[in-house]
Amino acid sequence: MTPSLSHRLDAVARNLVPAALGVFFVLLSTIPFYIPGFGPVAPNFVLMAVFFWAVHRIDLFTSITVFFIGLLLDILVGAPPGINAAVLVLVRTVAASQGKVFRGKSFLVLWWGFGLVAFAAGLVIWILTAIYHLTVIDPLPIIFQMALTVAAFPFLAWIFARTHQKLFQNA
Amino acid sequence: MNKRGGSSVLRLAVPAKVLLQRFAFLFLILTAFGIMLLSKAETIVVEKVSTVVVDVFAPIMDVLSRPAAAVNDAVKTVRGFSDLRDDNIRLKRENERLLIWQEAARRLASQNQALQSLLDFKPGPKSQSIATRVIADSGGAFVRSVVVNAGDRDGVRKGQAAVSGVGLAGRVATAGYRSARILLITDINSRVPVLIESSRDRAILSGDNSGMPRLIFLPANASIKSGDRVVTSGHGGVFPPGLQIGRITVATDGIMRVKPNVRFDQLEFVRLIDFAAVSSVVPKEGAETPPKKAASR
Repeated sequence: MTPSLSHRLDAVARNLVPAALGVFFVLLSTIPFYIPGFGPVAPNFVLMAVFFWAVHRIDLFTSITVFFIGLLLDILVGAPPGINAAVLVLVRTVAASQGKVFRGKSFLVLWWGFGLVAFAAGLVIWILTAIYHLTVIDPLPIIFQMALTVAAFPFLAWIFARTHQKLFQNA
Repeated sequence: MNKRGGSSVLRLAVPAKVLLQRFAFLFLILTAFGIMLLSKAETIVVEKVSTVVVDVFAPIMDVLSRPAAAVNDAVKTVRGFSDLRDDNIRLKRENERLLIWQEAARRLASQNQALQSLLDFKPGPKSQSIATRVIADSGGAFVRSVVVNAGDRDGVRKGQAAVSGVGLAGRVATAGYRSARILLITDINSRVPVLIESSRDRAILSGDNSGMPRLIFLPANASIKSGDRVVTSGHGGVFPPGLQIGRITVATDGIMRVKPNVRFDQLEFVRLIDFAAVSSVVPKEGAETPPKKAASR
């Protein structure tokens, strides 16, 4: 194997990491944790991943990747297929358009931005689900879910930042 | 952005890229809505594709779900130690009570047999059951379903009742080759024909994504109270009759709800009951008859 080829393969593998992480978080969302009351309000890990990578490395997380990750999430958790796909593509676009606002600023700014995006995403998920089932749905679970998602964001963002650093420092 | 069209290629290339991205964005959003509409229209394609995808990921979810299950078992074991003495006292008392019930059951069983032979009674076909493990929970805020590690190859069919040790958990919504999705009775799409055990009033148990499904279509003159037991009625042919579901609680807003026996956050194993053989002889849901008060004798 020539050095250039191995180097290129290495680069491809690195570039696939965000997408692979996305799929991993989809699978993580399906694990039964046996904690009373946790299931419906478990943090939306995929939303955090999409937001983070859209702000920092939009080129590695294309809208098509995000679309299929969302669709996979819908199918595996049994949600109406298409809801998370649409919402995640929306979140990616919004986060990418505001990327300049967040990059290089303090983490609090990023966290605050994520909070706004998460609650907007929750609102859209709630509305779409209600339209899908043609009935009014209690919004409490999604409010709690998004609150937990925002609360868990610093931890996940730290993991993403470390991954980002490790992968692309010398690339 | 179109106003800024310049002469150089570079100036054109950037807006073109943006336009392409915008187009991809619109296209994907519309596709997502298209898929939603297709699945709402109960198209078989969406269901088939979803089943195949769940099937493909089932082995991975099976492996991933094991550590959490092991931790849960360990926690239960440790908790069990501290309750050992209390449990012992409680179980001894319960045992004494149950021995009396056993005596009564034996007497009734022999009486029942004698009466059945007098009446030349034909018992319904025996149902079979399949034991399965829960490998995925629904992580969504608005979905109440689980995935189990058994499918078509194990005899799982759409519509089978899923029960845990203490009562009805749900029914098989879709069955893949090696996995199946169970729609829990708390899901917003779940409707179960039920019977109030003491009064024999019929109703429909309707999930609304909360922990306690509602009782709807109760007869106006139904004489029920908090704590009454609710069981499946067997109407509609989906569920076997007499499966325990839970107890009635009347909420502060006056809505009749049922507190299920099953603890859905602790659902680790479920048994799927193959009841299809019997369904053909049970009248269909549409053929409603007035509730029979004296049906149990």
